[in-house]
Amino acid sequence: MPRSAEAAAALPARGGARVQAALGSARRLPLYVVVGLGAVLMILPFYWMIVTAISPAPDIIAFPPKWIPSRITLEHFQEAWAKAPWLTYYKNSLVVATVSVGLSMLFGLFAGYAFAVYEFPLQNVLFLVILGTLMVPVQVTSVALYVFLSRIGWVDTYPGILAPNFASAFGVYMIRQAIKAVPMDLIDAARIDGAGEARIVATVVLPLIKPTIAAVAMLLFLSSWNDFLWPVIVINSESLRTLPVGIALFKDPYGFINYGPLMAGTVITVGPMLVAYAFSQRFMIRGIALTGLR
Amino acid sequence: MASMRHSARAVLGRAHRRHYLQAYLFISPVIVLFTLFRIWPSLQTLYFSFFKVELLKGRLTYVGLQNFIDLAQDEIFRRAIANTLIYALTIVPVSAFLAMILAVLFSEHFRLRELFKAVYFAPMVTSTVAAAVVWWWLYNPQFGLFNSVLRLLHLPEQPWLLSSRMALPSVIIFSIWKTLGYNMVIYIAALQAIPTMFYEAATIDGAGPFQRFVRITLPLLAPTTTFILIYNTIFAFQVFDQVLVLTGGGPAFSTNVVVLELYTQAFQRYRFGYASAEAMVLFLFILGVTVVQYFYSRRYEVAY
Repeated sequence: MPRSAEAAAALPARGGARVQAALGSARRLPLYVVVGLGAVLMILPFYWMIVTAISPAPDIIAFPPKWIPSRITLEHFQEAWAKAPWLTYYKNSLVVATVSVGLSMLFGLFAGYAFAVYEFPLQNVLFLVILGTLMVPVQVTSVALYVFLSRIGWVDTYPGILAPNFASAFGVYMIRQAIKAVPMDLIDAARIDGAGEARIVATVVLPLIKPTIAAVAMLLFLSSWNDFLWPVIVINSESLRTLPVGIALFKDPYGFINYGPLMAGTVITVGPMLVAYAFSQRFMIRGIALTGLR
Repeated sequence: MASMRHSARAVLGRAHRRHYLQAYLFISPVIVLFTLFRIWPSLQTLYFSFFKVELLKGRLTYVGLQNFIDLAQDEIFRRAIANTLIYALTIVPVSAFLAMILAVLFSEHFRLRELFKAVYFAPMVTSTVAAAVVWWWLYNPQFGLFNSVLRLLHLPEQPWLLSSRMALPSVIIFSIWKTLGYNMVIYIAALQAIPTMFYEAATIDGAGPFQRFVRITLPLLAPTTTFILIYNTIFAFQVFDQVLVLTGGGPAFSTNVVVLELYTQAFQRYRFGYASAEAMVLFLFILGVTVVQYFYSRRYEVAY
């Protein structure tokens, strides 16, 4: 096997494109088997989540497992929907993610511009302090942050949920890097034309760094949407629960074997994000690659 | 002449001052918000770790190093540290290794490649909590899919999350599934950055696929591998969501991890000072990894 693979790989150098095409599919069989088997394992939890959510109760605990439901039922969705205020959870997740991304991008854009374009006293110190906060995640500061917010009356409020995510150090860093690649001449030309700095940011810089903005906004939205530790600490009222907090607390009373409604609940929780992902997966994957490789 | 120079300097000085002001104006929202909600709580965490904090009574009692002395003797906390380390030291290399293999496979062009890639990446965009709820059902010893499949294959069924020996590995398997796609995508991007001429030259010199992988791919991926190992380790130290959902730290503290432990101490037992001391230990772990990263990245700067 190694020898034939080697020969096939060496072929293009000899210009044997047709031979390689013929060899290609045979050579790729092991590749398909490995990648395909792995993909089945990766997708299995999603598949089983959906199958459990739409199968009649006896199917769910049947042995051997019913890979295809004997009939499709929505009764579990009706039960799940009646048992928790999902629309409220959606609304809360949407509000928290939108405000956090919106403010992070707005503040990040101006801070990133200042750090990229200006020179000012304490510039490097301040930049390092901002980056340094990445080393102290909310997992470390949650206790003290909770104590602080309880003193200013922010526990169990929207601003309380948002507090650690009003601004993003990662966002400031990525935007600064992107603006550094913008030619200074463009900015100077706009200045000579009499544009104010805020207008330059909005009309000259922003259009040029759109890919970075889009990728960072998408990542921040995703992490806010799926965030759990801080919301579960700071939220007490059911009316403020975000989706992850909602589904976690939805699971607790299900210590018995009522898995149909539980899986219907998880479908309700992850459904919209998975649909959005299905439509934009190229963009999302490219965004991760762009921001992951500094 | 002198007065002209003087006024020019004055204009420049004014422009400079204006531009300092502009810069400070632009960074001020981030600085203020970070000071309030990130830096101040960080300093408070350190401060609280030397106190007994009674939030309801609004009382702070200085206890010196007592919290840390108690921590060192706290069997449950020591177990949480050990579990977190085992978790991180298992999931990180396994996930990185599998991701690298997948990335190399994905550098071939084959049919439905993008679809397969999207499938591997899907767990990454899914809420950890919701995904863990699904896996909790898959791990069910009586009716869960994993044991049903084992039974079909006439293999011994496993207690999964219910046994103190199997619970941590079960959480680790979940987390590998969850993180694999991210690491794979990072490796794929890094592979695309390797110029094909290296491979062409090596092929002409008679290097086989395995040799090309070991001599070209592996060394050129080293900075990416370092990034993935560091980044994943820091994240692994912060593991919480899946543990809370899958096991709640049990059975018998066999899956209790540092963040879950400090969450329990603070928000169920209201020992805020003690929890802050635990948070400081977590911070020291993250700091340690960051210091390692600093020296590694310097080494690469020298290498190139």
